[in-house]
Amino acid sequence: MKFIKNHLMFILPLMAILLGIEFYLVFDRTTDSYEKGLKEGYTMLVVTKKPVTLKGLQTLNAHIASSEAIKRETIVSEVAQGVSKESKKEILSALPYFYNVGLDSYLGTRELDRIKTALEKDPDIKRVETFGSSYSSAYRLFSFIKFLLKVFIGFMGVVSLFLIIKQMEIWKYAHRERMQVMEIFGAPLMLRSGVLFKVAIFDAFIATLLTSGIFFYVKLVWAPQSGIELMRQKQDELFRITDMAILLGAALLLVIVAVYMVVFSSKGEQE
Amino acid sequence: MSNVISAKNLTLAYDNGRKEIIKNASFNIRKGDFVFITGPSGSGKSTLLKALYGQLKPKEGNLVVGGVDLANVKPRKLQELRTHMGIIFQDYKLINEWTVAKNVVLPLMIAGYSLDVQNTQAHRLLKHVKLSEHADKYPLELSGGEQQRVGVARALAKNPVVILADEPTGNLDDYSSNVIWDLMENACQQLETTVLVVTHKIPTIFSLPYRHFIIESKGVYEVH
Repeated sequence: MKFIKNHLMFILPLMAILLGIEFYLVFDRTTDSYEKGLKEGYTMLVVTKKPVTLKGLQTLNAHIASSEAIKRETIVSEVAQGVSKESKKEILSALPYFYNVGLDSYLGTRELDRIKTALEKDPDIKRVETFGSSYSSAYRLFSFIKFLLKVFIGFMGVVSLFLIIKQMEIWKYAHRERMQVMEIFGAPLMLRSGVLFKVAIFDAFIATLLTSGIFFYVKLVWAPQSGIELMRQKQDELFRITDMAILLGAALLLVIVAVYMVVFSSKGEQE
Repeated sequence: MSNVISAKNLTLAYDNGRKEIIKNASFNIRKGDFVFITGPSGSGKSTLLKALYGQLKPKEGNLVVGGVDLANVKPRKLQELRTHMGIIFQDYKLINEWTVAKNVVLPLMIAGYSLDVQNTQAHRLLKHVKLSEHADKYPLELSGGEQQRVGVARALAKNPVVILADEPTGNLDDYSSNVIWDLMENACQQLETTVLVVTHKIPTIFSLPYRHFIIESKGVYEVH
């Protein structure tokens, strides 16, 4: 019982860190296309008196990467149903030109305002609509959630690392006599601490297996039954074999750092 | 004969040098000497032994063991020096989670000997201390006398240059004590190992010539 408790006290905080890492990986993958969509799907609306070319717009601002004319006929046919052909023609001739203008990168609202001002200086441009607030708020919300997740994972990681080190100190205390005897007979630090390394590495494997098990369950059992469309669509992204390697690498790195910290903090104890 | 241990104006202290236990002690111990160090409780016998295996740094003076100055020794050098020492404790200091055989070959394990060599040596050493049948037992399954014989076997495992023993028979009955003294006498006589024993009382039955030091009033004096 004590044996299991000792190991759980080490495995659980390590799992907390690994779960955090895996959550981040999964979140990053499943939201990647959404983020891309937010960035790339953004366009501003430019209304002009005369037809304009992409080059013409790019001379006004270098951030402009694409422009797509909105078919005026489509607009007219939608707004002028039941109107005679002549009237439609008149509406069409009076209608300005509309363009969806894309940018080369994600820009803040201040930069969007600057582009708007630059474009509106052109006498042929009647109006520029950046949709800045909705674009920015969606992206900001997304970035904020991502940032919060990072902070939470980071915080959890630090707390868990402290718990791991604490547990390692308990182990060191438990093995103190053995380590002291070995030291008296001239055993080098690495040999004396060998038992700590062995136990920690064993637990790193266990923690990796358990964490991977949880995500495999989520991927193979929970996601298909969840009824959440996004989960079904992104089922493959929920856990990959390469994630297991990442988790194992992270777990081994963490435990080795923790053992080193504990072992070296008491190096050369002398009266 | 060359000196294995040499102390000159040696001062040993605890509590960051504030509490002096031994002051200005000078003595030499030669290869093959069998030395008893006696003195009243708290006189500093065990403290001197600790200094000899590098657990306590001299406050002042020189303490040279096996050519290594323990006042200025680097950790790696101290480690190496300790592999040439056999140390015996009153409370045995065996590793209770290890079998008797594994305890005995600890110095060989540290020196990096192969498992085959370790097994052969464990067999030989345990036969030497008459504990062959207990090889696979754990220390806590043995009596005090048997545990101390394991301790002696461990100390002898690598044919050390010097054996340091801290009250090796302190907790043992007369029979077990005599066995331990015999083993140490043999090591000294046959292998020319220097043996330094801290004890309350010199054994009455002891066949070897020996040197006797007394620690008193912070000084170390040889009794002639």
